[in-house]
Parts: sequence; structure tokens; C-alpha cells
Amino acid sequence: MSLKDFISPFYVWQRAFEKPYTQKRPLQERPGAPRYRGFHVNVTEECVGCGTCESICQNHAIDMVAVEGLEPGPGDSGLRPKFDYGRCCWCALCVDICTTRSLRLSNHYAWITEDPTDFNFVAGNDPMSWNDEPLGYRRDDDYHLLRTERIPMPMLPPEQGLVSFDEVMRGYNEAEAQNEADRCVECGLCVATCPAHMSIPDYIRTIRQGDYEQGLRILYETNPFSATCGRICTHRCEEVCPVGHQGDPLAIRWLKRAIVDRIPRERYREILGDEISENGKRVAIVGAGPGGMSAAYYLRRQGYGVTLFEAQQRAGGMLRYGVPAYRLPDDQLDKDIEYIRSLGVEMRFNTRIGRDVQFSELLDGYDAVFLAIGLNVPSKLRVEGEEHPRVLSGLQVLDDVASGRDPGVGKRVAVIGGGNVAMDAARVSRRLGADVTILYRRRIVDMPADPEEIHEAQAEGCQIVTQAIPVKVKPAPNPEQVSIVWGEAEMVADAKGGRPRPVLQEDRLHEETYDSIVSAIGQGGNLDFIPAEYRDRIEFKWGKFVPGEYQQTALQKLFVGGDIANNTADAISAIEDGHHAARGIHKFLAGELDA
Amino acid sequence: MNSVDEILDFAIQREQEAADFYDGLAQRVESAWMKEMLLSFKAEELRHKGKLKSVKKGEQLLSSSQRVQDLKISDYLVDVQPTPDITLQDAMIIAMKREKMAHRLYSDLAAKAQDPQMQELFAGLAKEEARHKLYFEEQYDEQVMRDN
Repeated sequence: MSLKDFISPFYVWQRAFEKPYTQKRPLQERPGAPRYRGFHVNVTEECVGCGTCESICQNHAIDMVAVEGLEPGPGDSGLRPKFDYGRCCWCALCVDICTTRSLRLSNHYAWITEDPTDFNFVAGNDPMSWNDEPLGYRRDDDYHLLRTERIPMPMLPPEQGLVSFDEVMRGYNEAEAQNEADRCVECGLCVATCPAHMSIPDYIRTIRQGDYEQGLRILYETNPFSATCGRICTHRCEEVCPVGHQGDPLAIRWLKRAIVDRIPRERYREILGDEISENGKRVAIVGAGPGGMSAAYYLRRQGYGVTLFEAQQRAGGMLRYGVPAYRLPDDQLDKDIEYIRSLGVEMRFNTRIGRDVQFSELLDGYDAVFLAIGLNVPSKLRVEGEEHPRVLSGLQVLDDVASGRDPGVGKRVAVIGGGNVAMDAARVSRRLGADVTILYRRRIVDMPADPEEIHEAQAEGCQIVTQAIPVKVKPAPNPEQVSIVWGEAEMVADAKGGRPRPVLQEDRLHEETYDSIVSAIGQGGNLDFIPAEYRDRIEFKWGKFVPGEYQQTALQKLFVGGDIANNTADAISAIEDGHHAARGIHKFLAGELDA
Repeated sequence: MNSVDEILDFAIQREQEAADFYDGLAQRVESAWMKEMLLSFKAEELRHKGKLKSVKKGEQLLSSSQRVQDLKISDYLVDVQPTPDITLQDAMIIAMKREKMAHRLYSDLAAKAQDPQMQELFAGLAKEEARHKLYFEEQYDEQVMRDN
């Protein structure tokens, strides 16, 4: 042993009197840097449970879990991220990808506990000391892992759209569709909100993969009107798309169209593989709109003989007679309808129930009946002077145009209403060369019309006067014209939390003269064909059917759906009603469903 | 009408008359669903009648100082006739206008009454009718003028 070996332990003791490099917790805390990647914080109220954090985590350190007291709802899965700190490496990809920016990291980094299971926790929900910590890492404002801007839809310029009824939206090319599809985070929140519960992330994935045939098969599992819905769907799915929290929601509607646009109608049967094996049972459907045709499709696939009764000359219902060609060209609607018809649906056009065929004949002659007759009776203004011949109905104007007739709106038109019928009547009138003013009782934000329709109507030169209540219609000095007196409205809050309600201010009245006034304030149904012996057994509310499970009524053989039986009154809800009723009829005829 | 009970009996009788009116119309209408609708109006009037009976037994009416929103929808709509082929829209207009007339009647009686207790009672009844009118106006706003 050398002398050095003997002395060296005493040098160590020398260190015992120096300031240590380690820290004594909790007496000596050393705070993390302001942007340190410490423990996770999640603002539960802002999080929508999309699970994008879980998907991106390379270490599988995140599980989306149900949280007590948090219910799923529109645009919120009700799930929240649970972290496993045995796996987490604090890379913060979860923070960078978070669609709502609810997820961030605190600058806390020390955590002492005797129970290792504590290191599995639901950020923001479990009571952690750093939950309110303002410092720590969060995504910078100026960069995104997600692409927040939507690929623009090519469209006809307004001045070009105004001189024809050509389709305004031109559709994505393949590259545009794939780029837009790339923005999807595959969370599935849209699926819950879509009335038909379409498998949206699945069909968007087929676009990324370029497999449009598979895309078509997925679309037809829940929606046989995909060319139509790819154009005019109310796209409530997009309202809940989490990508929309920091930018534009995915163009789900346009992506649906992108699939259908790439497959010719002649290839549908081969791709969809619909083989009909007749089961010998017969179902009558009344109304060849989206609800009736959807039911026809799914019933035929199960082998039912389907006879469809339609009062008009052609199928499509409001899609044909209420939606102008610049939004939904006839050939695209026919693409959907002709495929359904090709499966062997017997169509009886120009046939009105109660006039040409009795309601009781349907109930007696078929194993089940599905009514999807829509809302086709326009509500009247019911103000003084309304019977003036220059007061037209919006539905009639659209029907005339769809049928190739001139509705004769003139050169100066007032359209009353704020729904899609009003917007379409206004835009049709513009295309017929009229200056158009839209009078609406509420504010633009309250309009039930599709926001894009409102925007396009404005871009095409329709003037919108809001908070304007029609009070009286008067003859104008020129008998070819008509005057309207309207009053300004003040909005009052609705005690039940609904849309604010307009209240007329009698001292602020205005009078204007137009070539025609087009009324489009709403529609009702016509159920007069149902005889008294049946009516007392069916439940109605405010002029609509109140269906039970699977759209069945108290008359066991009678199923109902579409606008006349729901409160959403849009095509996609009618399509789902038809599909749902088809399932119900199948169960009923198999003896699995009682009224 | 000099006593509280007499006034309440009068009001109860009016509610019964309204219920009878809707019931009679329901028996005459041709359309399947209008009957259902009118019977629901009748039920609403009978509910009001029950409320007034409770008041007679000591329950409080709406305070005359309580504000009830007037949407004024019935003010600018035309009068319609209760025909057998009446539509939902017209039935609702009739209902709104009947409630408006009742509201006006009680408001006039409140204005003419000398006794403060009578004044308060008539004003309370007027508020009740205003609330009924608001109910029908809201339904008209939501069901008939969905797009406006």
C-alpha cells in the first residue's frame, strides 16, 4: 500500500464540508425552466376527447378513458387522456398535436410517492398539484403538426355562376382530395354526429390510399345517396370535427363526393356486389325522396319486393324539385336513384295515396308499409293582402325551375325566409335576372340555411335585410307589382335557451315595391289521406308522426320516416330513417319486433 | 262580479268554454292529425282551468308585476275561420288570437276595477293569459315559421 492510498479517504471527508450538488427536497426546491417539459396538464373543459394524443404517442403511454361525471355529447367523446409515466418520455408530441390546445406540460418534474400506481393518472381530472401551474411547455402559436387550412374547393366565379344553372362546386381533383384527406385525425367524433353514422374516417382513409372502390363500399353501408350527400348534405359532421378548433374542419362532404365522382355508375353493381335473393315478402313505400329510396335500397338488399308510390313524375322528392341544379345536377341525383332502381324496385309514378290508391289497400296488400312523404305544403305568411297574385311560394318557384317552367318572378324580387328554400329561391331568381332582397325576421347567424349557401347567395349579389318582419302585402300602383310593408324587429332572449326571438317594433315600418314576393318561411305535411279509422291509433305532434323504435307506429305494419317524422328535416336524416325503418321492417317480419 | 270567487268562477268558465271550443272543432276536422292537435289545445285549456281551481283554493296567481314577453306575432296575422279543413297554421292562429282576446279582457277589467284586490286579481289573470298566448306564439314561431 502506498502513502497515497492511505491518505486519499481523508480527501473525501474534505468534500463533506462543501456545498452539495444534490438538493434536499422539500427543503430546497429548484423550479423547472419556464418552458420545461414536465408533468401533463389537460384543461378538461376544452378537451373534446378526440384521442389524437393517444394516436401519436410513440410509447403507448396514453389511454383514452371514461371519466366519472363526464358524459359524451356532440363533438365530445367524453373520454380523457390517462398517462402512464412508466412509459412517457416527455417528447410532447401529444401537446403539439392536440386539436384543441387543451393539453400542455407544466414545469413540475419531481414527484415522490410510495404507490407506483399513482404514476397512471388522468391529466386535468385527477387532483395534481401542478394542475394550475401557468408555466411549462405548450405549442407555439406559429406552428402546427396539423394542417389547419382546408384545401379550397374549385368553384365557378359568382359572375359565371349567375349566367347559368351549371354546378357551382366543381369537385376536388385526385391530388386535392388526397391532400384534404391527409388532414383527418381519424378520431371518429364525426361518426357519432352524422345522423346516418357513416364510417367517415374509414372512407376518408380510402382516399388517402387511392382505393375509391373500397370507399364506395363503405359509403353504401350507410348511405345510398352519396353522390347527392357529397354535394348538398347539411354536413353536421364538420361542425364537430376537432381539426376545426384551430382552423378549418375537414371538408367531409366534399371528400364523400370525391369518391363517388371517380366511379362511373355502370361499375356500381360490380363493386358493391349487391346480389338480391328474393324472400317473397312485399313492402310498399310511399314517397320516392331520400327516405323512401333509402328504405327501398336496404329492403331490396334483403330480398324484399319493393313497390314505391310517388305522386310526382320522377323520383327524388325535394332533392329533385326543391334543390336547384347548380347545387345538385340532375345527372348526379340520377346516379344515386338509378342504381337503387336497378336492383328491381317497382316504381309507380303519378300515383297519389288517397286518390289513386287507398291507404287501406297498402296495409292490406303488403307485408309492411313505409311512409316518407316529406313536407311539401308551404306555410302561408297569413298577413293581410297575401292573396295578391304576385305573392309566390318558394317551393313553387323551385319546382317550376326544376321542371323547366318559367316561374315569372320578374326583375325585382323579395324573398321572405332564411332557410335553404329561401336561399335557393333567391339564387334561382338571380339566375333569372332579378335583383333580389331577402327579408329575414332574425339575424344571419340564426338562419337555418347552410352557411355556405348564405355566403354564396351574398356573393351572387342577393341583399339580405335582417330583423325584418312582414306585416302587410298591398297592391302597388303598377298592377304587375306588389308592395310589402315590413317592420323592424328587436331580438329578445328565449327563456328556454333557443334562438332569440324577434319582436316587431310597430313604429319602425318600411314599405317597398317588387315584381314579386317569394314566401319561403317553412313547410308542413299533408296527412289527409289517412282515414279516420287509422288516425286515432297513430301518434302525432305538431303535424308530424311520432315514430317508436325502428320508425314503427302503433299500426304494427306501418313505419314512418323522413321530414314528416323527424325534427331535423334534412336529406341525411331521411336517409337514415329509411335505413332504420328497413332494419325495423326486417325485424318485424321476422317476428323480432312488437309494436 | 263583486267577489274573488265570482271572478275566478268566471275565468274558470271561460277556460272550459275554450276547451269545449277546441273539442267541438276536433270532432269536425277532416284531417287525421289536426284532431290530435286540437285535443292537445283542449288539454292545455283544461290545465289552465285546473290552475285557476287551485287558485280558488289558495294558490297564488302570477304576480301582476311579473313580466311576460309579448312576441306580438298574433298582432299582424289575419283572422281565420275555424273550418273543418283547418290547417295546423290556422288552428294556431286561432289559439293565439283567443288568448290575446282573453288577455285584453282581463286587462280592461283590471283597469276599470275600483277595489285594489280586484285590480290585482284581474291583472294576475291577464298575466296568465299573456303566458298562454306566449306559449302558442312560441310554438307558432318554432313549428310554422321554422325557416323564418
